[in-house]
Amino acid sequence: MEEGKDVPKDFIKLKSEKLSVDEVSELVVSPYCGAVSLFIGTTRNNFEGKKVIHLEYEAYPSMAETEIKKICRDVRQKWPSVKHIAVHRRLGVVPVTEASVIIAVSSPHRAEALEAVIYCINTLKASAPIWKK
Amino acid sequence: QVSVLYFARSVELAGLRCETLSVPRQITSLQLWEEIVKVHPRLAVIRDQVVFAVRQEYVLIGDQLLVLQPGDEVAIIPPISGG
Repeated sequence: MEEGKDVPKDFIKLKSEKLSVDEVSELVVSPYCGAVSLFIGTTRNNFEGKKVIHLEYEAYPSMAETEIKKICRDVRQKWPSVKHIAVHRRLGVVPVTEASVIIAVSSPHRAEALEAVIYCINTLKASAPIWKK
Repeated sequence: QVSVLYFARSVELAGLRCETLSVPRQITSLQLWEEIVKVHPRLAVIRDQVVFAVRQEYVLIGDQLLVLQPGDEVAIIPPISGG
């Protein structure tokens, strides 16, 4: 297979197993990119004044994936130099300090990747059909 | 005949996660809501908080006219939390 131009790709995964930062960042690395920006969302030990041991997430999986694809499309429109985007979202039980979401974006220069990651996580929280139980 | 999917709080109120419902092919989203509440009256309490997702697109409960096909997915979407 031709190594060539490294076609931009979106990597979207919803899963119940532990997420891996190494795995997600490796998905977006590219010889054409000098920047990989990463966001990790983890379970915090308090919520609305109450102690938290774990959070449990429920999703409408097919639509969540569709919404994340839309986010990727929007990212590419706003920041055309973005190369690869990876969004891994963990569903089910996520204990305190473990990751419920990892977002990675690569781009030739750092500004776009950094801005795109912020956009991704904010829009994901606002529009993806996922609920804390 | 559409598939109705329930999520989050609506699962507790309806008592189930999914079912098939017979509804008119053309119906406003408000009428669709009313059909669903007929079957599960306890859902009425979340009327002001929910939206629909019809064929995986968000639809507000109101005047929007829906053209439904057999087997379409309609989901009850309470306020999302946790993104």
